[in-house]
Amino acid sequence: MPPPADGSQPRLAAGCRWGGPDQDRVILFPEGAIKLQGTGLQILERCDGTRTFSEIIGELQKEFGKTDPEKIRADTGLFLEQLQRKRIVDY
Amino acid sequence: MVSNPLALIAEVTHRCPLHCVYCSNPMQLAGTQSELSTAEWTSVLQQAGKLGMLHAHFTGGEPLARTDLIELIAAARAAGLYTNLITSGIGLNEQRLKSLVDAGLDHIQISFQDSREGSANWIAGAKAHAHKIELSREIRKHKIAFTVNLVVHRQNLDHLEEMIVFIEQLNPERVEIAHTQYYGWALANREALMPTRAQLEKAVAIIAEAEKRLAGKIRIDSVVPDYYAKYPKACMGGWGRRLMLINPSGKVLPCHAAEVLPGLSFENVRENTLSWIWQESSSFQRFRGEDWMPEPCRSCDRRTEDFGGCRCQAFLLTGDAMVTDPACSLAPAHSIVESAVREANSNVEIEQPVTATSFVQLQKLTTDVWSYRTNPE
Repeated sequence: MPPPADGSQPRLAAGCRWGGPDQDRVILFPEGAIKLQGTGLQILERCDGTRTFSEIIGELQKEFGKTDPEKIRADTGLFLEQLQRKRIVDY
Repeated sequence: MVSNPLALIAEVTHRCPLHCVYCSNPMQLAGTQSELSTAEWTSVLQQAGKLGMLHAHFTGGEPLARTDLIELIAAARAAGLYTNLITSGIGLNEQRLKSLVDAGLDHIQISFQDSREGSANWIAGAKAHAHKIELSREIRKHKIAFTVNLVVHRQNLDHLEEMIVFIEQLNPERVEIAHTQYYGWALANREALMPTRAQLEKAVAIIAEAEKRLAGKIRIDSVVPDYYAKYPKACMGGWGRRLMLINPSGKVLPCHAAEVLPGLSFENVRENTLSWIWQESSSFQRFRGEDWMPEPCRSCDRRTEDFGGCRCQAFLLTGDAMVTDPACSLAPAHSIVESAVREANSNVEIEQPVTATSFVQLQKLTTDVWSYRTNPE
């Protein structure tokens, strides 16, 4: 699978969901759980199946104004692609 | 202070409509009369959530044999746990599946014995294959994770490619390809189940190719058979380090097989809390950490990775639970495993699947090959 296309709507895959206490949120999936902090958390909170990939990138670019926008796009795409291979994210 | 356990394995019953010859249950099965009640399981699940566990894996026997399974899944979700049902699918229809999903089931894992119906039913000792296929279609109508579990061994490995294509059509997110591990019934049937080195090497190549081809579509997890490995497996991620298993009658074990170990007594949830058992009980501390380790483990760099291997395997193969797992190439008793491997490779024959009109007849026709798992009293 290639990284997400601009119009795709990234979301958690079937059977993957948020869990853990509010201050310590994790993504639960069949083999385990990922504790998310910082950028990873900010990306996945936006993967709600409604926002498109380009909308998510737009929001993150605003959030991290000082970072090269193309780097944000590349890093976010790679992050989602890796989670897609683990069948934790779909797009 | 020991860190929290991560997951609960709830062996809710040892009753099972299948008789798989590689079953990981102990040969001494827990009787039906001694099974924990709904209220007792609910309390266990609540305690698990409070202890910080994240996952509850419902297994058996066949968990669907419990008429209160929907309540147990709901109780696990209410306790904040991610719920996984490990099942043959026998006892599940459209309506009960929907009720389980509504109760909060997150993930279902169905085992297939083979892609070929005759062989699958022969290995399971039951006509289950067709129902599993039908059920897989039903599962895909729901938004839950779906894993296919494929146990591989001498009798089915020669058509692994065909099995992977078969599984692709069932459309799961995940497939677990697990070589048989030799405990319980599988140890008794080892001769018929252990693959040859040629079978194993071919399987490794097939799986590597499938991983590449299916990347992004199906995630493949595969378990290497430890008799052929250089180092032992980190059994259960280490004794008393990550998991607690509750057997049908409430006994709390660090793994599926620990009851075979002599001189150890295991606590029961009817008498003690999970928290006390995890932190204080002598059974959970027995092989935790490094103090118990013999040489060569004690001075080995890998001791923090594989924890000396599996205690049950050490006992089952050598009669002594205190020694290095004989699967390790550095173990003093490694020759036991080497000789089993030699024996497996001295004979490359595989059996022809047998069909019968009843389970009793099937047992009779296959006594020379293996013994089927039976049911508890």
